[in-house]
Amino acid sequence: MITVKSILRLRNVTVRYGNGRHGGLVAISKVSLDIMPGQVVGIVGKSGCGKTTLLKVIAGLIKPVEGEVIFNGDEFDGSHRRVGMLFQSPLLLPWRTVLRNILLPIEIAGEDVNKYVGRALELVERVGLKGFENSYPWELSGGMQQRVALCRALIHKPLLLLLDEPFSALDAITREDMWKLLQEIIVHEGCTTILVTHDVREAVFLSDRVVVMGGKPGTIKAEVNIPFNRPRDIRLQYSKEFNEYVSTIKELISG
Amino acid sequence: MAVNARSRIINTLIVLAVVFIAWELASLTLSIPYYILPSPSSIVLATTRYPQYLLINLLDTLTHSLIGLSIAAAFSLLLSIPLAYSEGIRDAVYPLITGFNAIPRAALVPLLALWFGLGSVPKVLTAFLIAFFPILVPTLTAMVTLEKELWELLQSFGATKSQILLKVALPRAMPYFLSSLHMGLTSAFVGTVIAEMVASDKGLGYVILSSTSRLDTPLAFSCLILLALITLIISKMLGIIERRIVKWAYRVNA
Repeated sequence: MITVKSILRLRNVTVRYGNGRHGGLVAISKVSLDIMPGQVVGIVGKSGCGKTTLLKVIAGLIKPVEGEVIFNGDEFDGSHRRVGMLFQSPLLLPWRTVLRNILLPIEIAGEDVNKYVGRALELVERVGLKGFENSYPWELSGGMQQRVALCRALIHKPLLLLLDEPFSALDAITREDMWKLLQEIIVHEGCTTILVTHDVREAVFLSDRVVVMGGKPGTIKAEVNIPFNRPRDIRLQYSKEFNEYVSTIKELISG
Repeated sequence: MAVNARSRIINTLIVLAVVFIAWELASLTLSIPYYILPSPSSIVLATTRYPQYLLINLLDTLTHSLIGLSIAAAFSLLLSIPLAYSEGIRDAVYPLITGFNAIPRAALVPLLALWFGLGSVPKVLTAFLIAFFPILVPTLTAMVTLEKELWELLQSFGATKSQILLKVALPRAMPYFLSSLHMGLTSAFVGTVIAEMVASDKGLGYVILSSTSRLDTPLAFSCLILLALITLIISKMLGIIERRIVKWAYRVNA
């Protein structure tokens, strides 16, 4: 039997916040998860269920007290070169132009920025911001700023794209535009994606697989495969099947 | 906008004119002696009587204040980097700085004169000592209050602490640093003038002291007005530079 090697493997990951001597607060407990290359995994759950904590562990921002994180076959060593992140807030630097914001990760990695200008411009064009390369973030709308942040997350061709509630600050119409855009990007770039969200519809629309977290401390309660073919049309969300997935997952979250 | 700005200036000038006319009339009708409260016309006369003398001393005060301010600005900016870098250094050094700030710096002038003699050094040092604290505090605060999410994002790029500090925290603190220079400017003038009164025979501080001792109160008032004017002018110039350097902080569409 041929087994596809997972790009990311979490084994019994436990995270504790606060002072260990007094026990601290256990945020997530014994979480195990295998993610295959190219997969889009949605993580949903109530506030405080540890889904953002899980994402931070994957990003290498938090060290688990127990368990291991294996990234691309190696124990995660804290080198973040292959991870791109996108948060709810675009977190662009207002004194840098769009282009220089996108190139920031390259600059920080100490690589030759000029080599990546072409890629940056290509990304800018792909997210529909051609002509805004030399604008400042504060000259752009919220949705446009988030597109810039997406380009920045993708500039170094990450193997893993980590999204933490990336569209929850946007209005409904802009959010659906971003779903379409993100889907195109994921298909084109082929990067494995982990999407943490409150929005079950968003998770179902974008993911191949939705992981439901819950409890205190947070654990994985259930997993649901979403088998719709890609590219998915935005109208998919009005279909009966789509809505059945949505209600199943909502029940799993509250149940 | 332009019309508005112009009418605002005109309104201010009208208020100023009314105040001066009322003051002039009050001096005339109440016959207050000129050495207690000089009338505006006598202040103007005093100014025109010694224009060169006033100008030389004004430039003297201005130069020392600006040198003191520049040293304070450079010192605060350089000091804020290690203080922002390490909480350990901050915890150790910051209480000393606040403690030093609690000393009335004017009281140090006789000591400075004792150590460095009369002249430029005590003036510049006093200006510096009074000006650096109001510059350091907002700059440092801006540097250490980076949003947690931004910090995490930068860490996810693999950024080191010094990279975060130099590429993000420092540019982010620039608007706070530059606006604190206004505060620093007035403080530097206070410092220079105090030092001039205690340990100098030059500068407007010295002119105020010597003119009041001769009961030439109009000349002292002239010095006060010149000091206020020059501070306002330099502050305006700083404001222009500020808006150029940190255009992004004002969200002006260029």
